[in-house]
Amino acid sequence: MQFATEANPEYNVFAGINLSVSAGERVAIVGRNGSGKSTLLRIMARIFAPTSGHVEWARGTSVSLLSLGLGFSPELSGRDNAFLSCLLLGLSRREARQSLERIEDFCEIGAFFEEPVHTYSAGMRARLGFATALLNRSQVILIDEILSVGDKAFREKAREALEQELSDDRAVVLVSHAEDQVRRLCQRAILLEQGAKVAEGSCAEVFARYAQGPL
Amino acid sequence: MTFIQSFILVDTLARFHLKGEARQYFLGYLWWILEPLLYVAVFYIVFEKLLQNRQPEFLYFLMVGKVSFIWFSKSVNQAANTLESNKGLIAQIYLRKELLPMAVIHQGFYRQGVVFAFLFLFLAVNGYTVTLTWLWVIPLALIQALLISGCGLLAALLVCLQRDFRLLVQLGTVFLLFMSGVFWDLNAISNEEARRWLLILNPLAALIDAYRQVLMANTSPHISTLFWALGEAILLLALAIGAYSRLQFWIARKVVSR
Repeated sequence: MQFATEANPEYNVFAGINLSVSAGERVAIVGRNGSGKSTLLRIMARIFAPTSGHVEWARGTSVSLLSLGLGFSPELSGRDNAFLSCLLLGLSRREARQSLERIEDFCEIGAFFEEPVHTYSAGMRARLGFATALLNRSQVILIDEILSVGDKAFREKAREALEQELSDDRAVVLVSHAEDQVRRLCQRAILLEQGAKVAEGSCAEVFARYAQGPL
Repeated sequence: MTFIQSFILVDTLARFHLKGEARQYFLGYLWWILEPLLYVAVFYIVFEKLLQNRQPEFLYFLMVGKVSFIWFSKSVNQAANTLESNKGLIAQIYLRKELLPMAVIHQGFYRQGVVFAFLFLFLAVNGYTVTLTWLWVIPLALIQALLISGCGLLAALLVCLQRDFRLLVQLGTVFLLFMSGVFWDLNAISNEEARRWLLILNPLAALIDAYRQVLMANTSPHISTLFWALGEAILLLALAIGAYSRLQFWIARKVVSR
């Protein structure tokens, strides 16, 4: 599979990547900035199509990117934005309404839940965004470094909540620079360098290779 | 996402964005009626008072034309920008891209419902008889809704292709303002053949003329010109649906890479 940008069709973001993910497996994608990690996730989430090659998921598999603040509009209240995010995630209207109380409890922003999001601090937006993101019920979850947002207390809460949500047989593909996070959540990792897969194996092996720097 | 889920999403996006938009202004939802009224006031002052226009009942003539035209121009111009302005959302989730301009067009349906209600009330209070003929407004509004949907979806796609189309869409709606009999009577065209072709090629002109026949003259509209308008609206919408069904990933790459 390869992917070239719209802006510069001669430049391949990545090329020759082969990757497979099994049910319940947790795979990390590691690499320096610009190595193509986020683009690879978006192709896996069917947001983009590869320039060549293909992405195949087992019939009926739901795949999506775990996104903070999906569809958030600054003029709408936290409640309205949470409701919209739920609908965008594919929940029914009834399920979305039923989820609002859980979202409000998780994000702990009190009365601000009824206020427009443009009045929120960055931390409050991250809390609300993460609370709605947890409702993602896809069978394959793709996570692009969203665990790095917010203050330390929130990151800890988010990490615990995510690990609890992912304690079932859903497959996870995680992009992260944090070795401890990857080792805790994932069984396998791949290393991308200048658009190519240069290493694959256990998290320890891949991070050891990552630490050596580019060839 | 099923069709029902998509409709619920589009409807919720429309209602919530109308709410968010109203929150930004002191007069809030009142602008739904004030905006077309102010446009009418400007044109009335210029054409009736300054230029001494001889069109009988010009204020009502202008209101019917302007209210219908603003629905079209505002919806299409707003829809044209939706794919670009939702770049963030498109980069985060797979979503049928046509839902985004349709949400904006759907906002226009809500607004226009209120504006039409105000227009009917205004006409009724000012001596225009409310009869069963006024029910013709329903199919006319449906044809216009189809036309707006087709034009809005295509405009969004064109702006995705090249930003320059945003300017062309704006210019196009200004062109239609002058070519659709919004503030002048189509019957003033002495060349019958030219008038006929204008009504055939410009469905918006045909619709505005039909609204006036129904609401002001209390007569049924000309069915033949309406069939042309309906046919053109369906053709544009079919073209748009066909294009979107093939170009989902192309749109995402175009928009996200900007």
